[in-house]
Amino acid sequence: MMTMSVAPLAERLARIPKLVLFGAAALAQVALLTLMIIDRGQILRDGTEVTLQTRPVDPRDFLRGDYVVLGYDITQLPAGPLKDQPSGERNPLVYVKLAPNRDGVYQALSVHAGPVAVTSPEVLIRGRLAYGASCGSKRDTFCDTLTVRYNLESYFVPQGEGRKLEDVRNQGKLSIVAAVLPSGRAAIKRLLIDGKPVYEEPWF
Amino acid sequence: MMFDRAYRQRLEADLARWEADGVIPPAAVAAIRVALPPLAPGINIAVVVAIVGGLLIAAAFLAFVAAHWIEIARLLRLAILFAGILTAHGLGAWFARAGQPMLADLCAAVGAIIFGAGIALVGQMYHLGGDFAGGMLLWAVGALATATLTGSRGALAVALVAASIWSCMRVIETDVPHFAFVVPWLLAGGLALAWNSRVAAHLVAVAALPWWIASAFQAPHDFRPSFVLANGAALLFGGGIALAASRRPRAAQAGSVLSTYGAFSLAGVAILEATLANEVFRTYAGLADQPLWTISCGVAGVILAFAATATTRSAGTAFATGAIGLVLAAVALWMPRQSGEPWLAYAALLCAMLCLVVSGMLDAARPRIVAGWLGIAGVIAAITWAVKGSLLNRSVFLAVAGMAAVVLALVLNRFVPRSRE
Repeated sequence: MMTMSVAPLAERLARIPKLVLFGAAALAQVALLTLMIIDRGQILRDGTEVTLQTRPVDPRDFLRGDYVVLGYDITQLPAGPLKDQPSGERNPLVYVKLAPNRDGVYQALSVHAGPVAVTSPEVLIRGRLAYGASCGSKRDTFCDTLTVRYNLESYFVPQGEGRKLEDVRNQGKLSIVAAVLPSGRAAIKRLLIDGKPVYEEPWF
Repeated sequence: MMFDRAYRQRLEADLARWEADGVIPPAAVAAIRVALPPLAPGINIAVVVAIVGGLLIAAAFLAFVAAHWIEIARLLRLAILFAGILTAHGLGAWFARAGQPMLADLCAAVGAIIFGAGIALVGQMYHLGGDFAGGMLLWAVGALATATLTGSRGALAVALVAASIWSCMRVIETDVPHFAFVVPWLLAGGLALAWNSRVAAHLVAVAALPWWIASAFQAPHDFRPSFVLANGAALLFGGGIALAASRRPRAAQAGSVLSTYGAFSLAGVAILEATLANEVFRTYAGLADQPLWTISCGVAGVILAFAATATTRSAGTAFATGAIGLVLAAVALWMPRQSGEPWLAYAALLCAMLCLVVSGMLDAARPRIVAGWLGIAGVIAAITWAVKGSLLNRSVFLAVAGMAAVVLALVLNRFVPRSRE
């Protein structure tokens, strides 16, 4: 049956001029790349701004090429009520409820396996567990401590500036402002050193 | 195309000899030559030199852009990427119109590769480094769209590589089989059928292997890799011979390619099982712990092979079905943690590989014969060099198996009519 249905399709495509077909293929690829950029631009435009404090990262994970690896205070979290609950997979999605402290820097309040309601100024950010979902006898429950990745861990910088940023980060002076959508998806909006903006991300 | 050219050369030599020997009259030779369809245009030396020149210019351009990447404004970088994609496909359209399908195919494939590089570079420019597997899926989607629109086998290869990496990464992340891979795989299979292309069928068959291997070895600890792989090989081989039995030439051609990979997979699994059947490796759980989807694949493979046998009434297909059944029996019935050596499993695996050779001989399928011989050699090697157990007992087993084979050969020699040399 499959051969019956695909053969006419191939014949119909063969009748279309080659320029149109190759042009459509090129436009499809350009459109997919553009969608990636628009999607991120939408997060920056519509997302709630959240300031996050970076922290030193294990030296073995340091600069690769010219991007800085960023770790945050909210990267490693206690599992809380999630501990010993079934994790479902090795790297599940989790939702972290954040709230600002007195300095305006957001801290984690709790971790959840699914989306939960939040009230302003709380923000819910979505991440994927890197470690902490393989405990228990069958290695399928949440552990004591969870390591979460938020898609905010890499920041590409101009050549030669990575080392400077790493030094600042290791002194605890580097923080970021992330834009977070209500769905929990996040993107880096700007970098701050001692609370002052040093890199502002344009939408496009 | 390459095989077609070799066939024509051999046919031309045969025609000249038969004409000289007076076997066929000159008029018949001329009629045969007229009846042959024209050969598709191949690649001449000038085209090869042009390809090298084009690749060098492209590499020079990429190196120039890379050298100034940081100084170039972000939107200009994006424009360069888009221009690269558009240029590759523009050249592809030009070559297609100029009657150079191979160069057009190459350009579409290069466009698909630039698209993949574009995903990585956009990810870098916009700090989107989080989901590598997601990037691979996007690459596969774009390359598959290109392959569908342009008919490019190269773009199909790019799509299947990207989809395989995506799927294997998801298997590693989740520890469960990634069934979503079936969607791009079936779409690629549909393209292979639509194009009636052996090259595409080979690509689709090869793409099935990493998925099965990743599923077998990344599965939870109570899985047996050889069990999962055996059921996968059964489905590939059974599905292949069922397709090959189809009356539709497109399906039959694709089926013959799939069955070749199925036969080699079955031989590989037989060797693996003979190696792992030794009790020193017996740390896995039993048949009851194996997942239903895996068993269903094996059962489906056997049913498809039976259906092909019933349709074709071919002894070769029946022997192929027997080979599948025996390998599945060997991996399913030999209970893990059972003490002693798995003589029955060894015997079933040897019989399965013998069935594979016989099946290939009866169906004139040379790859199946090669797979069967490799399987026999590998299984004997695995039995002989098993890590644990009595070497004397294995010697007795091999001697008994050898004598059984000699007796069978004598019986066959007596009753089966010999073919003319």
